[in-house]
Amino acid sequence: MILVAGLFLLLLPFLTPYKSLASQMLIFAIFAIGYDIVFGFTGLLSFGHAAYFGLGAYGAGLSLIHLSVPAVVALLIGILISVLAALPIGYLSIRRRGIYFAMTTMAFAQMLYFIAFKWRALTGGDDGLHGVPRPPLGPIDLGSEVTLYYFILFFFILSVVLGIRIIHSPFGKTLECLRENEQRARSIGYNPTKFKLISFALSAFFAGLAGGLYALLQNFVPLFSLHLDTSGDIVLMTLIGGKGTLYGPILGAMALLFLKDLLTSHINIWPLFLGLLFVISVMTFRKGVFKELKEKLFKS
Amino acid sequence: MDYYFILAQLFNGLILGSLYVLLSLGLTVIFGTLGVVNFTHGALYMLGAYATYTVVTLLHLHFLLAILICPILVGLIGILLEKFLISKLYRLPHFYNLLLTFGIMFFIQDAIKIIYGPEGEPFNIPSFVRGSVNLGFMLLPKYRLFIIGMTGVLASGVWLFIDKTKLGAIIRAGTDDSEMADALGINISRTFTLVFGMGAALSGIAGVIAAPIQDVQPLMGMNFLVETFVVVIVGGMGSIRGSILAGLIVGELVTLGIIFWPPLSTTLIYIFMAIVLIIRPRGLMGRAAFFE
Repeated sequence: MILVAGLFLLLLPFLTPYKSLASQMLIFAIFAIGYDIVFGFTGLLSFGHAAYFGLGAYGAGLSLIHLSVPAVVALLIGILISVLAALPIGYLSIRRRGIYFAMTTMAFAQMLYFIAFKWRALTGGDDGLHGVPRPPLGPIDLGSEVTLYYFILFFFILSVVLGIRIIHSPFGKTLECLRENEQRARSIGYNPTKFKLISFALSAFFAGLAGGLYALLQNFVPLFSLHLDTSGDIVLMTLIGGKGTLYGPILGAMALLFLKDLLTSHINIWPLFLGLLFVISVMTFRKGVFKELKEKLFKS
Repeated sequence: MDYYFILAQLFNGLILGSLYVLLSLGLTVIFGTLGVVNFTHGALYMLGAYATYTVVTLLHLHFLLAILICPILVGLIGILLEKFLISKLYRLPHFYNLLLTFGIMFFIQDAIKIIYGPEGEPFNIPSFVRGSVNLGFMLLPKYRLFIIGMTGVLASGVWLFIDKTKLGAIIRAGTDDSEMADALGINISRTFTLVFGMGAALSGIAGVIAAPIQDVQPLMGMNFLVETFVVVIVGGMGSIRGSILAGLIVGELVTLGIIFWPPLSTTLIYIFMAIVLIIRPRGLMGRAAFFE
């Protein structure tokens, strides 16, 4: 299984219609890993996660443009900004449960979107942040799409390993416990707020990393990275893939991006299809396509 | 600062606030009763506007007739959505319905884009309310006055209905304890369908009223969607009085923001929301026990 996956990932740029699609698929898969931690495992529907993706992207992009740092440092800066924002936003949002949490996270993301929109001097407003360079990684030139793909792949593998470590740990189990029965967890002695906040911040870590890589990939940061639709996209990818599995959202993200590219090159009704997909997956495939597939194919 | 100017701006804030109140009514009613965060609200609002355009411009009927027919049409669509899709998910955690309505919103918006085209349609202020009124300190367009009037009528109508009528009492009972209400013989599922239809009709009528002053285009609902949610969150989800209060405050904030600090005007709403959340998480008039 791992060999097949490994081979697939190594050859991906050559299997997709254009090279950077493969990179995009990995980027959103990284985003999805983080999102699954907060949504699938902790049970918190954050509807404003584009904020951390966008902050990671703008953070990395701006440091590449204005501070001329190496690529990895830029990524770290993006992640730092993303996590630092997640802490107060998460703290304020977590105070409320369920739907309120979702709406609050959405409102904060929208706030950041408007700030980025208005602050043209810094972000370029709705033109986006142009001219993000790709500094060479030592002797390796990241200019080629294929080389960049393998660079991103490295971080993808890192994210997967990190994700697995987080999930299969006492911390991860505590998150699942919180998801299932928060009062019970509290009565055993676990502080729900602390764990929820850490989970939220961790997901912002992955989102920020994904955002930074996105800035590198596109050489540009679109304002859309902070948009509500981007938040909606990641929820759908995670849900369709199968929340609470890690592999589900990864596959969900990759599949959705591939589908989007496939469809939009032929006909301009992507939102219609996306809406339909949302409706169908919420009404029927609630466990997620890939999780259902796994359970059917690997019946043990 | 000129005294008259400030007064005029405060009045403008009242008008914007009225629009927010109008928009938030449909959302509050549905959330307060069903616990459903109705993302289709924006799309239903847009449908109200497009229905108005179709009725007035394409069918050459009077605007007042549109105010009567269009909300009913949108309400019917809402009823269909509730009956066949949304009601199936009541037993599940509330975020499923949030996601469902999010998806339906995309579908409706794109469907309208395909049918009517993406550029939008022009729609002017109906002739019977054109012109301005001289209030002494400012010239107020008659239509703005019409908006305030309609909002007042609708808001008080909804509030009176929920608070004073028997059906309103049934709805409130269903909100508080739907199982008990069901056990007492009240047809809860029909009540819920009705409430959703009502909420949808309210969203629709907001669209009708906004059509002359907002660009009528497929994504027009998105312009206000998140701000409307903020108004409802700040007011206390489920509280009509809360939405009214919050809507007016937000309207004033945005208008004053535009004068004194333009870049931050929309962001002010979110800062206000953050402050309210810190000081009083349930919202200005929310019921504390209402959260999951």
